[in-house]
Amino acid sequence: MTIYSQLRDLAFAAVIALAIASAAFVSARDKDVAERQLALANRSAAALAAGQAAIAAHGGLVGPALASPAHPFLKHRAIREPGGAWQPLHDKLIYDAATRFDRDHASGWLLADGTGRAIAVVPHGDELAIAVTDPAKPAPYPLLVMIGVLGLALALAAAGALAGHRALGTFAGVAALAVPPLLWSSWLAASAIALVAAGLALAQRRGLTDQLADGMRRHRTAVGFVAPAAIAMVVLVVAPFVIGLVLGFYDHHQGTWTFVGIDNFAEILSGGGRALDDPLNFWFILGVTVLWTVCNIALHVTIGVVLALVLSRSWLRGKGVFRMLLILPWAIPNYITALIWKGMFQGEYGAINSLLHALGVSGVSWFSSWATAFSANVITNTWLGFPFMMVVALGALETIPKELYEAASVDGANAWQRLRHITLPHLRPALGPAVALGSIWTFNMFNVIYLVSGGKPGDSTNILVTDAYRWAFERGDRYGMAAAYATIIFAILLLWTVFGTRIVRAKGADA
Amino acid sequence: MRWLVAIALLIGCSSSPRGVVLWHAYNGAERDALEATVATWNAEHTDEPITLVAVPYDAFADKLSSAIPRGNGPDLFIYPQDRIGDWADAGVIEPIEFWVDDARADRFTPASLAAMAYKGSLWGLPMAVKALALYYNPALVPSPPRTTDDVLALAHQLHPRGVFALAYPNVDLYEHAPWLHGFGGRVFDRTGAFSIATPEAAKAMSFARSLVTSGATPEDAQASLIASLFNEGRAATVISGPWFMGDIANVTWKVTTLPTVSATGEPAQPFASAEGLMMSSRARDKDAAFQVMDFLSNDASAIARAKAARQVVPNVHAWDDAALAHDDVLAAFRAQLDHVVAMPNDPRMRMVWTPYRTALGEVLSGRAEPGPSLDKVQHEIEGFAR
Repeated sequence: MTIYSQLRDLAFAAVIALAIASAAFVSARDKDVAERQLALANRSAAALAAGQAAIAAHGGLVGPALASPAHPFLKHRAIREPGGAWQPLHDKLIYDAATRFDRDHASGWLLADGTGRAIAVVPHGDELAIAVTDPAKPAPYPLLVMIGVLGLALALAAAGALAGHRALGTFAGVAALAVPPLLWSSWLAASAIALVAAGLALAQRRGLTDQLADGMRRHRTAVGFVAPAAIAMVVLVVAPFVIGLVLGFYDHHQGTWTFVGIDNFAEILSGGGRALDDPLNFWFILGVTVLWTVCNIALHVTIGVVLALVLSRSWLRGKGVFRMLLILPWAIPNYITALIWKGMFQGEYGAINSLLHALGVSGVSWFSSWATAFSANVITNTWLGFPFMMVVALGALETIPKELYEAASVDGANAWQRLRHITLPHLRPALGPAVALGSIWTFNMFNVIYLVSGGKPGDSTNILVTDAYRWAFERGDRYGMAAAYATIIFAILLLWTVFGTRIVRAKGADA
Repeated sequence: MRWLVAIALLIGCSSSPRGVVLWHAYNGAERDALEATVATWNAEHTDEPITLVAVPYDAFADKLSSAIPRGNGPDLFIYPQDRIGDWADAGVIEPIEFWVDDARADRFTPASLAAMAYKGSLWGLPMAVKALALYYNPALVPSPPRTTDDVLALAHQLHPRGVFALAYPNVDLYEHAPWLHGFGGRVFDRTGAFSIATPEAAKAMSFARSLVTSGATPEDAQASLIASLFNEGRAATVISGPWFMGDIANVTWKVTTLPTVSATGEPAQPFASAEGLMMSSRARDKDAAFQVMDFLSNDASAIARAKAARQVVPNVHAWDDAALAHDDVLAAFRAQLDHVVAMPNDPRMRMVWTPYRTALGEVLSGRAEPGPSLDKVQHEIEGFAR
């Protein structure tokens, strides 16, 4: 029995360790092949430049480009063996390598086609010595080594269990799997495996692994039910989230990622050297975003609760129809609503200004001042947001016992007192989570800002998500900055959810 | 529909068929024309057939950028030139000047081929050229304005009747560019540095503002509003591209070249963006793929596309074809190509659009002056560019 659970724990850790070791092997192998091939190509090119034959590679000396007079980007090139005669160049790899050297003086690189061929360019007078290696055969996966190490791990773990030192046995066993990565001088992988080994040993000491296995066995059906959702969460939520967090510490430039530490965050939080009233300064945008969220939530809750109170009156006829009509804005995709409102706010022909003209009021140029553009956004989002609050409030109103109102009436409470002391306190527990959720939606309401005002006038009505979008897609693909923005937004919303709900809960307890 | 596309993509990626896989984002007549041309190739080359995969335009660039470096993706694809700089720098597309001789190059108008060049290499062959021209309603203006002074005079005459002389999306740089170039301004100078804050660019902005203040042009007009103004007979002329034809309904219309800028005597020059046939750097058989590129961009294929889909093709001799020469609309777009500025391929161009748009919005509504606004744009973009 002990042996069985010992092997179970080892198998679990060994899968993780083997995955790490395999990744380490692949990266060490690729690096090794690249270095070897590049060195070979460089030596060959240098040999060509020195007038010798290339070593285990083909190539030659390429003459300067002769550009076509009509089209400067069309070039003729000729090639020769060292000491040989000029011939037209028919090898596209060598032709492109010469052009690339002329363009950015790259001297050697691995071909991107996965064959492991390397190419090197060494200038020699006005000629270029260029060598292309043959394809490299990557070393095969060391299956026998892995099986051997796995056997050793099994033996160590089993011996530990028999000798009564389970944790020591598994630690030694799993740590044995760190030996191959050490041989490939992959210190990172080796220490990761050692960490896994230590973690497993600690968990065994405290009996956690046995508890977990026991729980899984007893609640087998439950595990089966939870598994699909758990896997979906990991793939769709956890993985993108972790990747996003990590990307925030990298800088993206033309397809390559460079680790820059906290530079992105520093640039954002310092405002990028802009004045505080510059609409591209993070703190200015944050201010707009907070104001935007507060205005919206206040309007959503007020309008939603008032409408819910009206709709819950028993004397109202056609309640079903009104309810359906009021939920409609919520049912229409919000970008369509945003585009409709944008058209209605249009200065000369929009419906709103036409209405104002008909009433004898002069039209408003909605997007020419900050206050009106911001209001246009808020009006649109209020239209989108109040039905949710209304539905939540309606549901909560249904749950208030009628007896409370009857008792209050008997005690002589008027309508205002009944609202103030019965209805509103009962709405609070339901509206709290709705406000938390609504504020997160509003804080990140990309569609309305992007489609209605588009930041007008002069970028001053942007919120954090729309600025993050611009980092990613309009400022030279700086995905790292956009990811850092997303992390900051997440941190702000996390703080708000934790402390905001605490405030709501505390008030609920008072009442 | 999206499912079908996704399934087609899966099949296109997973199985590795013989021949050449080509991604495109064409719809309607353009797609039919391309499919017809490909069918003639496939009938003759059963060993190297072309497989067409239609990919939605909005996801096209991202799909390519991520699929090709992983060895997936197409052998060839058709896309506007504006990503050439990005893709060339990132090694996504293959330089093709190795295969192209002068005879092949002379097939195309110089500006359209130059639009496919970046950093001394050629990265594609042009399939179609898109540039703005002037649509007009002959019922409102029997002879179209030939100079910008004509436009202002027309406004003087039509404004009291509630008709705009000229409607165009005036806050977008793409539609503002004819004035910018006509006044002698550019986005990049010859060395490739930003030249946004220049006196010429400020004059072009002032002129665009004067079009608004004189009532020639509606302020802040979106594309949908412009189409309805033109269709209701409330706009005499419109600056737009070939895609505008589909929006016109119930009015007679003609197309001509853009007017000359009276202040400089130079013609207004829109951006010419070419749609190019490009090769993936991971194409399976690059020589075969180039054969296909050569075939799809030759004169016969171009004439077929121009006739069936009214594409403005860049092939010089395609226009010798009698049927094309007599198509007034195509002829006008072709004539405009003699006065265009090639759309910059520089990746930094994509940083320019939004700040420039913001500045145009501020100036055209009278909230800011051209000079300081352009200074701000240049400063902002230089802060982001690396």
